[in-house]
Amino acid sequence: MSGPSGPVPSPGPQPPAVPPSVPPGGWPAAAPSPQPAPTDAPPPARRRRPAVAVLAVLLVLTLVGAGVLGTYLWRTSDSWRDTAADWEALAREHGAQVAQTQADLEATSSELEATRGQLATAQTRITELADEKAQLGDTTAAQQQLADYQTRVSRAAGDVATALTNCIDGQKRLIEYLGDTSRYDADDLARFRADVERVCGAATDANAALQRELAR
Amino acid sequence: MSRRVGAATLVGVLALAGCAALPQPAPPVPGSVVPSSAPAPSASADGSQLSPDGFDAAQRMAVRIRNIGCGALSTGSGFAVDEHTLVTNRHVVADSAELELSTYDGRDVTAEAASTAALADLAVVRTVDALPAAPVLADADPAVGDPVTVVGYPLGRQLTVTDGRVVGAVTDPLNENLGEVLVTDAPVEPGSSGSAALDAEGRVIGVVYAKNADDMSFLVPVSTLRDLLADETAFAPAPACG
Repeated sequence: MSGPSGPVPSPGPQPPAVPPSVPPGGWPAAAPSPQPAPTDAPPPARRRRPAVAVLAVLLVLTLVGAGVLGTYLWRTSDSWRDTAADWEALAREHGAQVAQTQADLEATSSELEATRGQLATAQTRITELADEKAQLGDTTAAQQQLADYQTRVSRAAGDVATALTNCIDGQKRLIEYLGDTSRYDADDLARFRADVERVCGAATDANAALQRELAR
Repeated sequence: MSRRVGAATLVGVLALAGCAALPQPAPPVPGSVVPSSAPAPSASADGSQLSPDGFDAAQRMAVRIRNIGCGALSTGSGFAVDEHTLVTNRHVVADSAELELSTYDGRDVTAEAASTAALADLAVVRTVDALPAAPVLADADPAVGDPVTVVGYPLGRQLTVTDGRVVGAVTDPLNENLGEVLVTDAPVEPGSSGSAALDAEGRVIGVVYAKNADDMSFLVPVSTLRDLLADETAFAPAPACG
């Protein structure tokens, strides 16, 4: 960045045009020795010009670099600003979606709770209905058993009544036959008596069956 | 001359380093930041307990048994062990002229045949219709203090689920079973006979068959049930009345 700087050296005393006078008879006393002239230093005018040029070039380069850098930073800043705006828009969009989803979730949760309540009620009702059906089945089965029982008892009672009727009829006829034994053969009477006893025995058996049914 | 070259090189390096430190342009904003694969829900509503109709497995496996005997009527409980087989007590199906089965939701299930075990108060009933659900039998008998859940039809009424704990093991007070039986404090009633006793995981650990005056219930342990189910000769056709 920086070129030669500092004060330009002064040219120094000019050499004398004529030799100094020498005192007679001796060496010159206190005569100044001649100053050696610089052999590598450029002349002042020639050294100033390159430094200015370098400085000018550096200044131009600096300005150009600053311009490029500024443009780059400007565009980068614009890019980031646009991106930030896009991100904000995206975030707002998703925020709106999240808000909508949360609202939907709350509504769905509420519906779910209501549905759970309905399900519990339905389950309770199903269990109650199953129980009612089972009780009805038990009642029906019990009534069927009772009906069967009554049928059996009625049938047994009917058998008893029929057997008793037959027995009584037989006994009446046997009594009639025995009242006039001369008209009937003795063997026939004995055979008829046996039949009457068998019929009355059947009545006894029917009565026993009826009693067994009643005892069940 | 070499100093100038060095200085120029240094300036170039510094310029490149400065360029590297400059902010880069913003990357493009994606159209969506929603993950392509849906994440797994952090909490589930205990989906393992869901069933087609909201009833849990313990209720779905329960079966109500109506024993129509010769001049007698009784009810008991049972539970499915597979699609067409249920387990209950021997005394539940004894002296039967007809068995009528119904499920937790009131559906009738036609019974095909009943078989009873001679060495325990257990019976199996084959069904024509499919049973809704069947539980898993536990691998081992429960220990004292383990929780127990009884699912059945006490007094022949509604299906109930009652809880208790295993309080011990005793010799069968009714002499209906070989070996020891389990004692629990889970409340049961007449009609609960044949109910499944489940552990905390819903596995069968025993079959209710009796209770005493102290409201202690007695279970045929699952080990006995397993042994008998594995023995084809353990069950014989149940004698019918009439």
